Amino acid sequence: MRSCILRIFLALLAPTLVWAAPNPRLALPEFSTLAQKATESVTITLDAALLAIAGRFLDGNDPQDAAAKEVLKGLQGIYVRSYTFDKDSAYQQSDIDAVRNQLSAPGWSRLVETRSRKSQANVDIYIMVTNNQATGLALIASEPRQFTIVNIVGAIDLEKLHKLEGQFGVPKLDIDLSKAASPNAKK
Amino acid sequence: MNEELESRLRAALRPVAPSDEFTRDLIARVAADQRSSSDARSAHGRRPRARGWWLSASVAASLLVAAGVQHQLQERHERERGLEARREVIEALRVTSQKLNLAYEVIKNQSSFPADDKPGA
Repeated sequence: MRSCILRIFLALLAPTLVWAAPNPRLALPEFSTLAQKATESVTITLDAALLAIAGRFLDGNDPQDAAAKEVLKGLQGIYVRSYTFDKDSAYQQSDIDAVRNQLSAPGWSRLVETRSRKSQANVDIYIMVTNNQATGLALIASEPRQFTIVNIVGAIDLEKLHKLEGQFGVPKLDIDLSKAASPNAKK
Repeated sequence: MNEELESRLRAALRPVAPSDEFTRDLIARVAADQRSSSDARSAHGRRPRARGWWLSASVAASLLVAAGVQHQLQERHERERGLEARREVIEALRVTSQKLNLAYEVIKNQSSFPADDKPGA
């Protein structure tokens, strides 16, 4: 009888536990209005299945493909929204805020925040860390005529990202995972 | 006179058993006739059976060709999908690296001109 009650209790608790687990996948809006206004737009939605297919078509003998293949290992999704406009202030800050608000959820930590008055380029890099392993990455870059959101889901190996230097021009940002894991690092 | 003629006719027309040779010949001829008639029947019946075989073979061949074409189309579709996914992966990494570079440039400029930029890395 007691074990039966315990089972019922656990069954009722299970959805709550699942709900409480931090989700590294952001709900990216359609941005259809912005896409119409943009002179150039990039919309990439790659889930785990598509990443697996892409991995099969990456040539291991090509340095760029080999580097990309290495980064893809353990990833479950890559989502990119990038819009370029022909005039300044073509998008509202509220367009970005909808995404930024999701990054205040538990699990996310802001690692990099750059504000440039000269170029008016702002870049924020957020990371989700679970058991000392980066499980999600979000990047929001806003410039006067461009804004970009990147969301990478899965076991991200930042060292591998650094190794992309020269292939895709990824710089070493000296991102410290221990900093992300500590509660003080959260914005 | 009449009686004599009658008895002679009876004697001449009395039933006589056939000779063994005659019986053998007769049986052989009957058997030969039966064989030839059954051959003719089977030759006549083979046509529709042969036609049925050709029909089955052509249906099977058509199915094989259709399956082959379907497989080819599926493979081509998979390939196109894979190449498109590969292109998107490369593009996604290019955009990501471009923006990481932007952050890096701001950090670098900040270290050169601390008053201008405000990075929080």
